[in-house]
Amino acid sequence: MASSGWELAVNESGVLKGHEGAVLAVRFNGDGNYCLTCGKDRTLRLWNPHRGIHIKTYKSHAREVRDVHVTTDNAKLVSCGGDRQLFYWDVSSGRVIRKFRGHDSEVNSVKFNEYNAVVVSAGYDRSVRAFDCRSQSTEPIQIIDTFQDSVMSVHLTKTEIIAGCVDGTVRTFDIRMGRELVDQLGHPVNCISLSNDANCVLASCLDSTLRLLDRSTGELLQEYKGHKCKSYKMDCCLTNTDAHVVSGSEDGFIYFWDLVDASIVSSFRAHSSVVTSVSYHPKDVCMLTSSVDGTIKVWRK
Amino acid sequence: MADVDEEDYVYFGTPIEREEEISSRKRKAIAEPGTLRSLPPWKQEVTDEEGRRRFHGAFTGGYSAGYYNTVGSKEGWTPQTFTSSRKNRAEVKKQNIYSFLDEDDLKDIGGNTLETSMQYDTFGFTAAEFARKKAEEEQKKRPSAIPGPAPDEIVLPASSSIGMRLLMKMGWRQGHSIKDSNAESLSEIRREARKAFMALSSNKAEPDISEKDADGTDEFPDMSIDVLRNSENTPVYVLNPKQDMYGLGYDPFKHAPEFRDSKRLRESKSRETKRSKVHMGSLLSSNSKKYAPGFGIGALEELDAEDEDIYASGFDYEQTEVELEPSKAVSSSSGDRMLQLEHKKRGSLLGFKLASDSDYKLERFYPPAIPSNFRPIHKFGAPLDQTLKNYNSVPPPDAPPPENTNLRLLIEGSAAMVARCGKSIEDLYMEKSKTNPLFLFLKSGAEGYDYYVRKLWENKQKFVDNLKPAEKLTAENRGRILGERPLASTTSRVNDVSVKAREVINTQSSHGDTVTKPISLADLPDSAIKQFKHDPAKQERFELFLKEKYQGGLRASGTRSSTSTSTMSEADRARERLDFEAAAEAIEKGKQTIQISAPSTDHTKDLLGFGEDRFVSSTLIENSETKLEETNVVYPKREQFEWRPSPILCKRFDLIDPYMGKPPPVPRPRSKMDSLIFLPEIFKSSNKEDAKSPIGNSLEASKSGLKEAEAEPSASEADVAPTSPKNVERPVDLYKAIFSDDSDDDEADAGPALNQALNPVKSSEGANKTLNRLVAGDFLESLGKELGLEVPPGSIPGPSLNTNTVSLPEEQKSCKGGDDRDNTPFPKVKETKSKDYGSTVDSSREKKRSHSKHHRRRSRTPDLDPDSGSDSDSHRRHRSRSKKRHDRRDRSRSRDSESSDEAYMNRKERRKKHHSRHHEHKKKDYGDKYSDKKRRS
Repeated sequence: MASSGWELAVNESGVLKGHEGAVLAVRFNGDGNYCLTCGKDRTLRLWNPHRGIHIKTYKSHAREVRDVHVTTDNAKLVSCGGDRQLFYWDVSSGRVIRKFRGHDSEVNSVKFNEYNAVVVSAGYDRSVRAFDCRSQSTEPIQIIDTFQDSVMSVHLTKTEIIAGCVDGTVRTFDIRMGRELVDQLGHPVNCISLSNDANCVLASCLDSTLRLLDRSTGELLQEYKGHKCKSYKMDCCLTNTDAHVVSGSEDGFIYFWDLVDASIVSSFRAHSSVVTSVSYHPKDVCMLTSSVDGTIKVWRK
Repeated sequence: MADVDEEDYVYFGTPIEREEEISSRKRKAIAEPGTLRSLPPWKQEVTDEEGRRRFHGAFTGGYSAGYYNTVGSKEGWTPQTFTSSRKNRAEVKKQNIYSFLDEDDLKDIGGNTLETSMQYDTFGFTAAEFARKKAEEEQKKRPSAIPGPAPDEIVLPASSSIGMRLLMKMGWRQGHSIKDSNAESLSEIRREARKAFMALSSNKAEPDISEKDADGTDEFPDMSIDVLRNSENTPVYVLNPKQDMYGLGYDPFKHAPEFRDSKRLRESKSRETKRSKVHMGSLLSSNSKKYAPGFGIGALEELDAEDEDIYASGFDYEQTEVELEPSKAVSSSSGDRMLQLEHKKRGSLLGFKLASDSDYKLERFYPPAIPSNFRPIHKFGAPLDQTLKNYNSVPPPDAPPPENTNLRLLIEGSAAMVARCGKSIEDLYMEKSKTNPLFLFLKSGAEGYDYYVRKLWENKQKFVDNLKPAEKLTAENRGRILGERPLASTTSRVNDVSVKAREVINTQSSHGDTVTKPISLADLPDSAIKQFKHDPAKQERFELFLKEKYQGGLRASGTRSSTSTSTMSEADRARERLDFEAAAEAIEKGKQTIQISAPSTDHTKDLLGFGEDRFVSSTLIENSETKLEETNVVYPKREQFEWRPSPILCKRFDLIDPYMGKPPPVPRPRSKMDSLIFLPEIFKSSNKEDAKSPIGNSLEASKSGLKEAEAEPSASEADVAPTSPKNVERPVDLYKAIFSDDSDDDEADAGPALNQALNPVKSSEGANKTLNRLVAGDFLESLGKELGLEVPPGSIPGPSLNTNTVSLPEEQKSCKGGDDRDNTPFPKVKETKSKDYGSTVDSSREKKRSHSKHHRRRSRTPDLDPDSGSDSDSHRRHRSRSKKRHDRRDRSRSRDSESSDEAYMNRKERRKKHHSRHHEHKKKDYGDKYSDKKRRS
């Protein structure tokens, strides 16, 4: 484990500036060559973080953009935010292909499925909705509304929809089995993140604790504490090797925990304000962080 | 012989009889008009020119008159008035006299044309018309200075009327009266005759003659005049000038012509005699005489004495007969009038007379005489204050219940009654006890009296307790009952103190989240207090908690109570507080059981329900148990439910629908009635969930509804041993169905517009549910009592309502934990939140004020988002629009290949190429490929 310290992306290698106002989310694309950011300035931006180039700006949202996801073929984007619609974009032209309506309130999180055919979104209206990208219909094909509170984060695997909710649950909807697994954590779940092997789910709870659950059993594997996460939607993730757990903090710090023994491996001040999002490169030791201060930072080892 | 004769003749040629026959009809027709006309009209026949009978009797074919024995014409009923003048303008018909004549008429006319004859032009109209036509014609020929048609005044008929001509033939000359000549001639004849007569008779007849002559002149007085006026034209019509002031056509002497004569007489007299007399006004002079009957008094008006002398002053009336008439009328009518007035006065109809005496009389009932010693203030036999006083008084000592169960029940029942209804009931029982030995216990010293006194006191206590909160159910109290967090402002200490001080002064309220009974801790067994021995810090906090709870009377708002907890997280603190509350509850309960319910057994509870607090439920003990259980719950907990992905979702995920081929899910209960129908299942599920996770209870309450609605007994559910049905659980959903706000399943149906409004409700839903459960439990308990059912043990009326808040699910606490933050310790967080622009976590508590906050946030954003880039963006959009189509195809092709920055550039290049290629393509074979391209794109 000692060697893992070397593999942490703790050195700032670049700053992406362009967003006016808070940056709410930063996401690597599927292969990690590009990244997408979105923010309070109602825009989406496509960057090449490795070169520090701003490639494109996507404007159409009328309110803040809270989450964005890109298809595996990098052809389409989906974004969501305060205007209760999902925007389905064409990456190269920058035009909105479709707007998926249905959410009754702000949409917190959105993801494509593996085949880029379905968009699943999680909203403040206590529901998770799935939209069909292949049909012309803008109505949801599935509404999951067993949540008791705002759904903060959603992730998809090949067969499951996993969503974290403020009602303190992480719910896994297994499409293949037709089962809903509810893991009660007892604290509002802010963000969920899957390990790269998809066996574990990391849930960031509002009691300033990250909880690592075994997905198959629902067993609590580890708790990670030390950072501050009480009221903001903040992202957490695992490193590319699944060796560490990363999370931002409301005080602008970034924390690295050892996955197994939950010790803080590293913590440093990354931003002047709340770190809203962290995204780890799928393969390389590279991390992106975004903050309320309007900057996106690129971290390498 | 005849035969022989016939044989002798030889006939040649054809007989001509037939011709005769043919012509006979014609002949008849010709002959007939003459013969027919002589016949009476009913025997005459109408025939046409061919002699055919036109009108048949009803039996011989009916009326036949028109076109082919119809009454119609050849044209039928098509209106003749309309002909399209567009196509045949020439055929526009004008009606003339010939269109009204039929063939017969025309035949009669012969070749002559019809003209109006001047011969019978009586009034010369035709002549005038003729003259005018002539004049017009003339004018056309030589245009005059005055354009237009000649005016009527100029054109005068050249010929006079026939009547005039006749008269002139008879010797009448224009300007002479017609009568004159006649009269003249007559008189002439007479004169002639007279002369002849005179010639015959001698002189003796002379005076006669003279007489007669005189007579003659008398006979024709006018004639002589007329003769004189021969040259004058007779006035055609003499109008009598209207000289009176009656209404038009009104004749005052209509029914009394004799007066007319007398009037005329008087008039002539006055004209002669008093011509010189000066009347008061020249204007009214002529009218003054007939003033009285007419002027100022309408014909319909009644004459009155007053009316008469309105104009009396200043007028010089002549006493004439005429004036007598109205006065007479007045005098006669005044009598009638008097009668009329009388009738009017009495309000009866004319001709009816009021009865002098009637049977009907207004009956009056006088109020009863009030006894002199009556005081109009009611005094209640046993005022409530008294009972309160009793309640405050020292409680009677405990007494063991009598062995006799019946007696004990009776005692308890009557005690409850007395406690509720007051002393009067007791008096009633006392009276009964004289006859009925059952009520002997009411007498002091009798068997069971002590017990009765004790029970009575208990019941009164309860009753008063019950009254108290009802009396002062302030907003705060209500909020507390409903499990709301008190607002920061209201929980300020000063406020609390004042409220509490009052409460403490008045009576002790059992309704004590804030005020608690002075149970001395010393009384408590050590073991009870030392519940958290394993954790000394916690134990210390607990003791502090108890101290504050029981000794201070006031309890500081939870989190502030202990300084040592400051290091703990919100949720931890909340949880710990729940622990403490529960423990304190248990201790208190333990005491109570010692104090109060020690003598009572199970059966007593049947009658205990009288004064129980409304909001204390029978599930209290259970709740506290579950609470204790809750605290021990280890997170995370895993639950499994059935979930149906939609088939399309499965398809898109490339998975096989797990529910394919299975019956479709039972539709969710849409209405409240549906959820009632599914009640048993719901209740079972809630049981199940209870057993599994008490926390999830309320959280899942709404969910369970729909879960079970679509339930197929699954493996996990089968595992759950069906717990014995708890009565309490059932009405949860019942109540939810009736009272609670829209739950989740309804939520989905609600439109987006509704949602905004519903949001604030959501957060309090959990609390509502819990409350409903409590209320429902209480409700059911009372219901059970009414039905005589046995209520499960543990329904001791606990004094604390704070259990309501305690029993809130853990989750809610933690979610709501922020409220504590709001109060004092973390105002900073909120501050920063509103300042910063990061997206905040939407916890449930936030929803309450989400509206305002979102508003704030949103209203802020425009400042932050300058639209500087929008122009360029729109440009770009425009440009890209043209490319888009090609791009799409490219993308689908290049889905698998690109994965680098260069790829992006590559794509761009390729797109360009593609573009150009297309152009070439088009140029080459536009005609063929165009449609193909279109199809592809």
